[in-house]
Amino acid sequence: MDFIFLVFNSFTLLLDPFNLTYVILGFVIGTVFAAIPGLTATLAMALLLPVTYTLSVETALMACASIYMAGMCGGSITAITINIPGAPSSMMTALDGYPMQQQGKGALALGHAALGSMIGGAVGALLLIAVAPFVAEVSLLVKTTGKFSLLAFAIIVVVIAQRGQIAQAGLAACIGLMLATVGLDAMEPITRFTYGYSNLTAGIDLMPVIIGTFAIAEVLTQAVASNDISAFAAAADKVKIRRRDFLPPLSDIRKIGFGCYIKSCLIGYFVGTLPGAGGSMGSFLAYTEAVRTSSEPETFGKGNPKGIAASESANNAVCGGAMVPMLTFGIPGDPITAIMLGVLVINGIQPGPQLMTAQAPLIAPMLATLLFSAVVLIPLTLYLLGPYFIKIVSVRKDVLYAVIALLAVVGSYVATYSTFQMFMALGMGVLAFYLRRNGFPVITMLLGYILGPNLEEFLRRSLALSNGDPTTFVTNPDSLFFVLLTLVFVYFLVIRKPTKNPTVSTGM
Amino acid sequence: MLLNRPLVFLYVILAVSVGYLISALNLGAPISESGLTPSFFPILVGGAAIFFCSILILQKLRAEPEKFQSDVPRNYTHIWVVVAIFFYILGFKPMGYFISSGLFVFALIVLFSSFEKLLQKAAISAVIVVIAYVMFQQLFGVRLPTLWG
Repeated sequence: MDFIFLVFNSFTLLLDPFNLTYVILGFVIGTVFAAIPGLTATLAMALLLPVTYTLSVETALMACASIYMAGMCGGSITAITINIPGAPSSMMTALDGYPMQQQGKGALALGHAALGSMIGGAVGALLLIAVAPFVAEVSLLVKTTGKFSLLAFAIIVVVIAQRGQIAQAGLAACIGLMLATVGLDAMEPITRFTYGYSNLTAGIDLMPVIIGTFAIAEVLTQAVASNDISAFAAAADKVKIRRRDFLPPLSDIRKIGFGCYIKSCLIGYFVGTLPGAGGSMGSFLAYTEAVRTSSEPETFGKGNPKGIAASESANNAVCGGAMVPMLTFGIPGDPITAIMLGVLVINGIQPGPQLMTAQAPLIAPMLATLLFSAVVLIPLTLYLLGPYFIKIVSVRKDVLYAVIALLAVVGSYVATYSTFQMFMALGMGVLAFYLRRNGFPVITMLLGYILGPNLEEFLRRSLALSNGDPTTFVTNPDSLFFVLLTLVFVYFLVIRKPTKNPTVSTGM
Repeated sequence: MLLNRPLVFLYVILAVSVGYLISALNLGAPISESGLTPSFFPILVGGAAIFFCSILILQKLRAEPEKFQSDVPRNYTHIWVVVAIFFYILGFKPMGYFISSGLFVFALIVLFSSFEKLLQKAAISAVIVVIAYVMFQQLFGVRLPTLWG
C-alpha cells in the first residue's frame, strides 16, 4: 500500500517544469517516431539513452515512460489515415481504421484509437502499480537456482516465440550471450575474449550495443530500402482531419461495450508480462477475441470501431505488463523495456525485489508518468496535434536519417568520451543490420546480451552450492516451477501446432 | 549452390563461433574441483552457436535455390554509410566536432538523396550540426571536441 501512495505522491514531480518538459518532449518524440513508417519508439528511446547520463534517474525514467506510451499509440495515426502502420503494434488497428477513413470517418477512428489507448494505458499502469509490489515480494522466494531457471525460461520463451525462426532466434541469442562473456569474469579475476585489448577488459558496454542495434542498424536498413516517401506524402496530403470529429459518440462507446475494453486491457497486460511477446501480439489476441465474441463478426475489417478499441486498448496495456518482469526480475519483455533496463543499469540500479522497496522513490515517478501519459497526454496530443501529425510522413528522408546517424554516433561518444565506444556502436550496427537482413530477430540477441552475465553467474553459483549436482534445478521448488513453466511453453509454442482462426485475416 | 549471400553470412557466423569455442577451450578445463570454471559457460554457448549455425546452413543447402533477380539494381548505399561513419569517427577528435560532423551530415544527406542542390544541402547540414552542438554541449553539458580546445 505504501508503494501505491508513493506513486500517487510522485505526481507532484510532474508539476516541476523541468520534468514536465522532458515528459511532454518524450511523448511528442515518441509519437513522431511511431507515426513515421520505418521508425519506432525503440529508436527514439535508443537515441535518448546517451542523454540520460546528464539527467537524474527519475527524469530519465519519466521521459522513457512517456516515449513508451506514445510509441504504442502513435502508430495508429498512419495505420488509420493511410493504411501504413507506423509501428507493428498498430497493424490490427489498420484493419478497421482504414476502412473508416475511406468512409470519411478517419477523425472518428483516430478518436476511438485514442480512447482505446487511453483506457488501455491507464488500466495497464494501474495494474502495474497494484501488482508489481506483490510480484516483488513473491520474487524474494526465488533463490539462486530458481533465478537461473527463470532467466533460462525467459531466453527460451523469447527464442521459441519466434515461430518458423527458432534456429535463427537461437543463434541470435547465442551471439548475445557471446558478447556478454567478453571481459572480466564475474567470479574469478580472469579476462575472457579480450585478446589483449585493454578497452574490452570491462566488457562490451550497453550503450554501443543499444545504439548500434537500434539506431545505426536502422539507418543502414533505410539506406538499402527502396521506400519512396513521395507516395506516403501524396496520400497524407489528401487526408483532411477536423478536431470536432475526434470525439467518439456515447452510442458508439456503448456499442463497443465496457467489457470489450477491459477484456482487451487484461489480454494486453498479461501478454506484456511474457518475455518477447510485445504489443503486436497483444493487439492481435485482443482483436481475435473481439471478433470471436462479437454478434456481428462479419463487420470486422470493414470499419467496426470495436476492432480499433480492442487493438489499441491491448497494445497500450502491454506497457504496464512488460514492466512487471523488468522491474521485479530484471527481465525485459520487449526492446523498449530492455532500453529502460539499460537506463537503470547505467545509473547503477539493479532491478529486483529491493527496487520496489529500498529504491521505490526512483521508480514511482516513472509509473506515475505512465498513468499521466495515458490519461492526459494521449487525448491532449490528439486534440492539439492530431490534424497535423499526418504531415509527419512527408518529412525528408535524407535529412531525417542524417540527423539520426549524427545523434547515434555522437551519442555513443557521450558515455566515456572515447572514440572506441563509437567504433563499438558501428560494429554492433553492422552486425545487427546483417542479422536483420538475414531474418534473425535482434531482440533475442539483445536479451542474451542483457541476461547473459546473470545467467552464467547463477548457473555457476547453483552448481557450486549443490557440489556440482545438476538435479538441484528440479529438486528446488522455485527452480522446478520455472522448469515446468518452460516445458508448458515449449509444448504450446513448439510441439502443439497453433490452430488457425478462419474469421481473422490480417490482409496485410 | 554453396555460395549465396545468406550462406556467406552463416559461414562467417560459423567461423566466428568456432573461433570463440577454440578461445573458450583455451581458457582451461570447464570443470574443476571447486566447480565450474570461467570456460564452462562460453564452451556451452559456443557449442550451441555452432549447433544452430549448422542447422541453418543445412536448411539453406537443402532449400530450393532462390531465383536471382538480375534486373533489380543492387543498392550499395549502406556500405557507403558504414564508410562515412567509419571516417567520421576517425576524424571526430583530430578535426573537431564541427568540421567532421558537417562533412558527415552532408555526406549522409547526399547518400540518402542525390548529387543535386548541394548548396542547399550544405546549408541544412550546417544548421543540423549547430543545433546538435547546442543540444549536446549547452543543454546536456556534454563536452564535444573542438579545434579551439
